[in-house]
Amino acid sequence: MIFAVFVPLLFLAVFLAAAVRRVKVYDSFASGAAGVLPLLKSLFPYIAAVLVLAELFEASGLSSLLAEALSPAFGALGIPKEIARLVLIKPFSGSGALSVVSELFSEYGADSYIGRCASVVYASGETVFYLSAVYFAGSGKKKPVLPVVIALVSNLAAIVLGCLFCRVL
Amino acid sequence: MNVLFTVVFAASAAALLFRDAAAFLPALLAGAGKAVALGLQLAAVWAVWLGFLRVAEDAGLLGAVSRGLRPLTRRLLHTENEAALSQAAVNLSANLLGMGGAATPAGAAAMRHLGGDGNARGRAMLFVIGCAGVQIFPSTVISLRAAAGAADPYDVYLPILLASLCALALGVGAVLLAYAIKRKKGRGA
Repeated sequence: MIFAVFVPLLFLAVFLAAAVRRVKVYDSFASGAAGVLPLLKSLFPYIAAVLVLAELFEASGLSSLLAEALSPAFGALGIPKEIARLVLIKPFSGSGALSVVSELFSEYGADSYIGRCASVVYASGETVFYLSAVYFAGSGKKKPVLPVVIALVSNLAAIVLGCLFCRVL
Repeated sequence: MNVLFTVVFAASAAALLFRDAAAFLPALLAGAGKAVALGLQLAAVWAVWLGFLRVAEDAGLLGAVSRGLRPLTRRLLHTENEAALSQAAVNLSANLLGMGGAATPAGAAAMRHLGGDGNARGRAMLFVIGCAGVQIFPSTVISLRAAAGAADPYDVYLPILLASLCALALGVGAVLLAYAIKRKKGRGA
């Protein structure tokens, strides 16, 4: 696997280059890692708020109700109704989406049309609400409504096209 | 976000009140527990990548990457802010290589620098590009397909790439359009 060796080679190349240029690699690495705590401190409150909400939404049964209600709309867009749940969870949680994908694989098979669509939905596009929490955290007054809407719409368009590509390619 | 949070929270709480009121607090705690677990996981990932990036920075390699991507990042983000440009360059290249762990802290740092300049369009652009999730190699889903016994785990490569490129093109176009309209409106008022 070419890509498995890429990361170790990258680390090796960078650390060797640093050593050649007389960088104190150990001190330098540690001072970089020190940046974790302030970053985590500023992001954790938002992550906690979003995940508490997501868990409550799931437990209330509203999320499966919403998936049910939206499945005709998804059908009209050419998205198979089996993956409606995946499309809905994707903007909120990457790990949640991944667990839905693996459920779909075991239920329908990775080579089925549904399995292929699920792969495309998972891999094309990021977890929009998670990224918005991290990227716009602590920026105060300016609400990132417009960027979030743009990202959600263009990712949905990509999903519709991706399901189409799965049929023709 | 405040409105969305309140509405979804209230609706879910009300629904749960009828279905299973006792499940309310456990659900909240489970969510917070997931946040703690995710926080620890992120701290581990960031410790590795932030350390690595600092070494690359001290070796002068980050500067080289950011200079290489400069014509692109300057045009996209509409800024001359050196710190924002170099973090954005790291963010874009790490995303492309599928190293989300390295991309996120750099992206957050670039967003902070752009925010300091009041550059709303630049922030929207960087965010939307990140959300499109264009990757040279979508390793997670392909490994999952291989593990699930797909005949050809790679046969979704092209649809994935094309779909995320569409998301990228649409998103960048929409940001350019939306903020051009906004600016025009601002001038008219």
